Amino acid sequence: MAHALDVLGLFDNEYRDDGFRTCSVTGLEVHRSVDNYVKLFGLTAVVALLFGGIFAFTVAMTRWEVVGLLEPADFYTHLSMHAWNLLIFWMVFMEIAILYVGGPMVLGRRLPITTVAKAGWAVMVGGAVLVNYAIWTTEPPNEAPLLTAYVPMPVSPLFYAGAIVFILGTVVAALPFFATMWYEKRENPKKTLPLVSFAAFVTSIIAVEALVGGLFAFVPTLFWRLELIEWWDAAWYRQMYWIIGHGTQQINLVAMIAVWYFLTHVVAGAEVVSEKVSRTAFILYLFFINLGAAHHLLSDPAVSTGWRLWNTSYAFYGATFASLIHAFAIPAGIEAGRRKRGKGGGLFGWLTSAPWSNPVFSSTIFSIILFGFLGGITGVMMGQLQLNMTWHNTFATVGHFHATVVLGTTVAFMGLIFFVIRTMFMRQYISERLASIQPFFYSAAMGIAVLMMMYVGILYGVPRRTAEVVENIPGTEFSLSAAAPLFAIFGIFALLAIAGGVLFVLVAVGSLVFGDRVENGDNADLVADGGLGMAQDPDDPVHAYEMRGTFVLCLVFLAAFAITYLLNWYLLTQLWSIGA
Amino acid sequence: MTSPIKPPDGNWWDQPVNRRESIWLGLGVGWSLILFGWMSAWTRVGDQNPIGETFRIDAEDYREKLTDYKDRATETDDGLVPPDRDVYLQAMRFQWDGAPVVLETGTEYDIHLNSFDVQHGFSLRPEDALSKQINLQVLPGYEWVVPMTFDEPGTYHIICNEFCGQGHRSMHGTIVVEEG
Repeated sequence: MAHALDVLGLFDNEYRDDGFRTCSVTGLEVHRSVDNYVKLFGLTAVVALLFGGIFAFTVAMTRWEVVGLLEPADFYTHLSMHAWNLLIFWMVFMEIAILYVGGPMVLGRRLPITTVAKAGWAVMVGGAVLVNYAIWTTEPPNEAPLLTAYVPMPVSPLFYAGAIVFILGTVVAALPFFATMWYEKRENPKKTLPLVSFAAFVTSIIAVEALVGGLFAFVPTLFWRLELIEWWDAAWYRQMYWIIGHGTQQINLVAMIAVWYFLTHVVAGAEVVSEKVSRTAFILYLFFINLGAAHHLLSDPAVSTGWRLWNTSYAFYGATFASLIHAFAIPAGIEAGRRKRGKGGGLFGWLTSAPWSNPVFSSTIFSIILFGFLGGITGVMMGQLQLNMTWHNTFATVGHFHATVVLGTTVAFMGLIFFVIRTMFMRQYISERLASIQPFFYSAAMGIAVLMMMYVGILYGVPRRTAEVVENIPGTEFSLSAAAPLFAIFGIFALLAIAGGVLFVLVAVGSLVFGDRVENGDNADLVADGGLGMAQDPDDPVHAYEMRGTFVLCLVFLAAFAITYLLNWYLLTQLWSIGA
Repeated sequence: MTSPIKPPDGNWWDQPVNRRESIWLGLGVGWSLILFGWMSAWTRVGDQNPIGETFRIDAEDYREKLTDYKDRATETDDGLVPPDRDVYLQAMRFQWDGAPVVLETGTEYDIHLNSFDVQHGFSLRPEDALSKQINLQVLPGYEWVVPMTFDEPGTYHIICNEFCGQGHRSMHGTIVVEEG
């Protein structure tokens, strides 16, 4: 029975008397409570995506100074709206949905304490609205916070209050997930968690670390803004702030990898080639990835060299090694799984035979490739103590995190939403063709825009966070106009990428509102070749299948990594002598 | 049992690992150590490191130092010529106090960086080679002393690359490097 408010019938799947249904694609037992709350958080995330996406247009068209859309005062407000809605609200609402998928849904349980989930959602929405209101109503002497709200720049106290409320709401919304894990382990103490649930659990721990760091940054700053205390320390704030500022991006990363394992399995028949290796990689993340917050402090005066070396390298590159593991394990899972299903002739037959017209699959693959080649490699570059000097606060940094958070996480989450539309909302896409095209179009356009961001940052030293610098720096003849041609390419492809984002929202919302209802058997085309049962045959172990295609791809990746590394170091050594 | 959404059965820890995956793990460890080793070694043998002494200091105290330095420096048409190897700069909304400054190639200068008000970014490049650029964070409350030796003469431009307020985009200064 649909709720009285549910006029679109989005929450009205049919369940058995015990409240469960069997998913025809994944074979999972899905409880009504899980369905409903995943949908609630997912829909809220899409609203944030749409809202923040509007500001992608105004921000990109200001940075492309030929257009020069906004005045500086408006630019910083729009940039703040863009950052908070996309980098925080779209991501974090999705991540709560992913916790509910990775926890209760994969484990075949109901979502416990749903009133807490509802309360968490309401508090998160309240915090998000407050942050947006505070940014939008910024008045002198206050400045727009951007993402970071660095002290001692005056930023509206309401902003810090909103951020704190949102953080607390997120912790509350995560409680039903933790309760699920508690019940599961209490009932089945000897049973190993499925890999996706394990990954979700690691994500949740990293998330709590990040969120607590956020409270350390924002609560004292709020007190200072309210003039309850007089103390602030710019370096201390930066260190505390980046626990959440970078930590939230690590949540994105680990949640995204959980989604990669999940979706490649479900729609392409990927299997886990080694539970031991993949789980070890998640453990490495658990211990080391949050050290990466130091990447923001490498060109800072207040932290020692030893501290920077240890933390920026995640303790001898522990988390980079973990990512290298996934870079092999996930494609290898697809390759071996598909070879097992008879879909893997030659070196790359497993890839060419894959369901590329399924947007769930293509989104996931583009996310994996583009995150690795553009996001991951550049992250390690700018995370090297010395190379950071050439990346810090340049537009290349913006390129890096658009590669990770947009090409990586957002594209993967779009794939997940395509999946949820078919399997949880039970709607056909309003247009199969547009849905198929969207991941190709969006990833390609965004990929080129991101490359241009990196080039103008590294090759021309164009700074981030400014409304005007290429055509003109007020008060001097000097400008960075040599970067103008690359900015033209950036502007055009940013526009195309935004069109791709609009296409996503149109297809997603259009399918929810106007899409045909999925009836029995309609989702058969989503199921991986040969069905998912094959993954459970103990006499046919997946690790025995060939992984040479993956091995070749990974060697290409490592070569690209090494070449980029050498080029970056070459550029650095062209500089004059700096530092003790 | 190798589904990521089903609990693995039995002793999954002891399942064999594919040979190619094992090789990749080895490559991954090797690459990680190279990344760390190179970065660490460069702090000892390399010429470009974001490393210098840091002191805590009030903005006003730093201003006194800066004023004293300016008194001792020689004013020329191109800018201040520092009295010795110390060069003082203070970032403030929306200018670089202490710039323009005239330096010589081949001399190691200690560049003192501090902010009077909010956080700023010290982004420096020579006019004729924009790809040669470095960026350092400038914080109020801290004095960072970063040694620099310029090898090419020319006009080097400082722009602020940390958002510091509405006039941020106009915050510009120069370092003129002459043949020493």
